Amino acid sequence: MEAPKTIAHEIGGLQNDALRFGLNGVKSDIVGSHPIETACQSAIKRQEDINRKILANTYGSAFSLKMDLDRQILSRFQRPPGVIPSSMLGFEAITGALDDFCFEDYLNDPRESETFRPVDMHHGMEVRLGLSKGPVCPSFM
Amino acid sequence: MSSKFDLPPKGGFSFDLCRRNAMLLEKGFRPPTYRKTGTTIVGLVFQDGVILGADTRATEGPIVCDKNCEKIHYMAPNIYCCGAGTAADTEAVTDLVSSQLQLHRYHTGRESRVITALTLLKKHLFNYQGHVSAALVLGGVDVTGPHLHTIYPHGSTDTLPFATMGSGSLAAMSVFETKYKEGLTRDEGVKIVTEAICSGIFNDLGSGSNVDVCVITKGHKEYLRNHLTPNPRTFVSEKEYKFSEKTEVLLTKITPLKEKVEIIEVGDSMEE
Repeated sequence: MEAPKTIAHEIGGLQNDALRFGLNGVKSDIVGSHPIETACQSAIKRQEDINRKILANTYGSAFSLKMDLDRQILSRFQRPPGVIPSSMLGFEAITGALDDFCFEDYLNDPRESETFRPVDMHHGMEVRLGLSKGPVCPSFM
Repeated sequence: MSSKFDLPPKGGFSFDLCRRNAMLLEKGFRPPTYRKTGTTIVGLVFQDGVILGADTRATEGPIVCDKNCEKIHYMAPNIYCCGAGTAADTEAVTDLVSSQLQLHRYHTGRESRVITALTLLKKHLFNYQGHVSAALVLGGVDVTGPHLHTIYPHGSTDTLPFATMGSGSLAAMSVFETKYKEGLTRDEGVKIVTEAICSGIFNDLGSGSNVDVCVITKGHKEYLRNHLTPNPRTFVSEKEYKFSEKTEVLLTKITPLKEKVEIIEVGDSMEE
């Protein structure tokens, strides 16, 4: 971010043009752009860890390992990339997200975003099979 | 391998512009300031339940932008919640938690408890570290009796027999502290709540207009919208605001569609 030869002309603060604005600061990528962003992410992770520990203490460590396996299997059970997104019903049932209702469910739907690019099914499948690189759902940002 | 099976992206708060905003601030850009908000909301416990009260003025800085808004929000059939702070935040948070409570009721098939609503609200507010600026007075009656809680924007809570919130909270609290006693009847309670809101309306510039009251008792609730209107419009035009009779003329003739499919009643074979 703190490139010594910064050119005054910047496009809306977007600095992913490495030739003009220098490489992105490593620190800002690790720390995150806002304290709340990191706090929310770490809160989710911490809650998952606590739940796992509680289950391991009550039912034995095999139970939580089995649940982890189920979680991995269910997270891969998805529709081919395309117009209809995966509902992740089984995954949400096992994580408990099905009974939850939060901002993520109705605010700022990524499919309604102005930076949304329609997903190419062939590209998405290639990414999943490890034939090509990149995220399944690329966006302009 | 697992990274190739990314979960579908989710929405929520977007932090995309935070870095840009930080850069703009660094370069000396002055962002628009927050608008000052003002409210008086109160609640008290009486002998059979809980009474909530609120004024109806919505301000955006020095401007009154709504003279008759609703600040008592529905949470569950037996729980209501008054909101102070940013109007959009209080509405979003109360709607969100009321949906969560509805889901929970579908799941358990029982009446929601006030403590559940309280925990959901404070968990949510604490997660966002005060950036969701909602100061709430939560009241309701459940199996364990009447409950009244106040929730601060950072997620701390209080459990009290009488509570006030918002910029007019000091004016309202003075009324409660002089007049509140245990075992109030419904009418006495409503009178004290109205008086407390009125003291907020007349002594606090951020609060004004009318008084809303909500009385919650076991298995019954009474939402008295505009219970008292101490500030009616003083000037009424002699001509009255009347709109001409024919504002819209329907010119096209509508012919109802013919039914092309006949619906035949099938017996009870489909059931069960």
